[in-house]
Amino acid sequence: MDGTLPAAESQRVDSRRFEVEALPWLDDVYRFALSMTRDESDADDVVQETFLRAYRSWHTFEPGSECRKWLFTICRNVFLRLRERERRRVDYGGDDAQLEALASGQEGVGSIAEHADILSRVDLRPALERAIGELPEVFRSAVALVDVEGMAYNEAASVLGVPVGTIRSRLFRGRRLLQESLVIYARDAGLTTPAPCEV
Amino acid sequence: MYLTVTQTVAMDCYDVVRQLWDYLDGELTDESMDAIREHVAQCKQCYPQFDFERTFLEALAATRREHPAPNMVRRKVLAKLRKAGLEV
Repeated sequence: MDGTLPAAESQRVDSRRFEVEALPWLDDVYRFALSMTRDESDADDVVQETFLRAYRSWHTFEPGSECRKWLFTICRNVFLRLRERERRRVDYGGDDAQLEALASGQEGVGSIAEHADILSRVDLRPALERAIGELPEVFRSAVALVDVEGMAYNEAASVLGVPVGTIRSRLFRGRRLLQESLVIYARDAGLTTPAPCEV
Repeated sequence: MYLTVTQTVAMDCYDVVRQLWDYLDGELTDESMDAIREHVAQCKQCYPQFDFERTFLEALAATRREHPAPNMVRRKVLAKLRKAGLEV
């Protein structure tokens, strides 16, 4: 005996391991897919393809490593392929400089006192969910992984295939844009008074 | 404003505010974490900003929905995997 399992037995073992280690993350993968696609039908396709690819490359998964992160990485790649295939525009939010200016500071989005006031008055969950959905995709993915899924910067960087510094800057910009959205949401709802115009 | 923080590196308000999110995310060295924690606890200028950012991140984390993937998605995934050879 050389210690290797017969093919049928080996497949049974792999199936069992996949069922126990990978399938329990289906809800998490679906949530992440939905955060990227913002479309239930697309998320459905992404999740199916993610698990199919994961199963086919299960032999490359290192036992003991983090299965959720591995699945998220596959999910992200599937999403990018889908987007490429459908020739969707890369939604980077248009003009980079304008976007960065929007996201980089607190000027124009109210004072910290106004922000704090908004947090106490706005029903945050629906307002934030809507604002997250409107974020440019690169920022939304970083926010989804770190702020919603609770990943560390290095884990999110690994999933998205970017340096940790890029995660940090995308989070910074994404969070600032979310805060700005909350201010606008609150102003539209009449919960705050607009800042006076400068003459 | 410049506060002297005992037994850790002193940090000015600019440095603290600049690193607030890294601090709240637990992404700094132990030394920097300690320095910011102590600064924020003592600084009347930085505390409101810290409190706001902490509340904001907590609200963001609370948007995570625990509802499962739709059953239809689950069924499709399992059907696809069985077709590929998974024995479940």
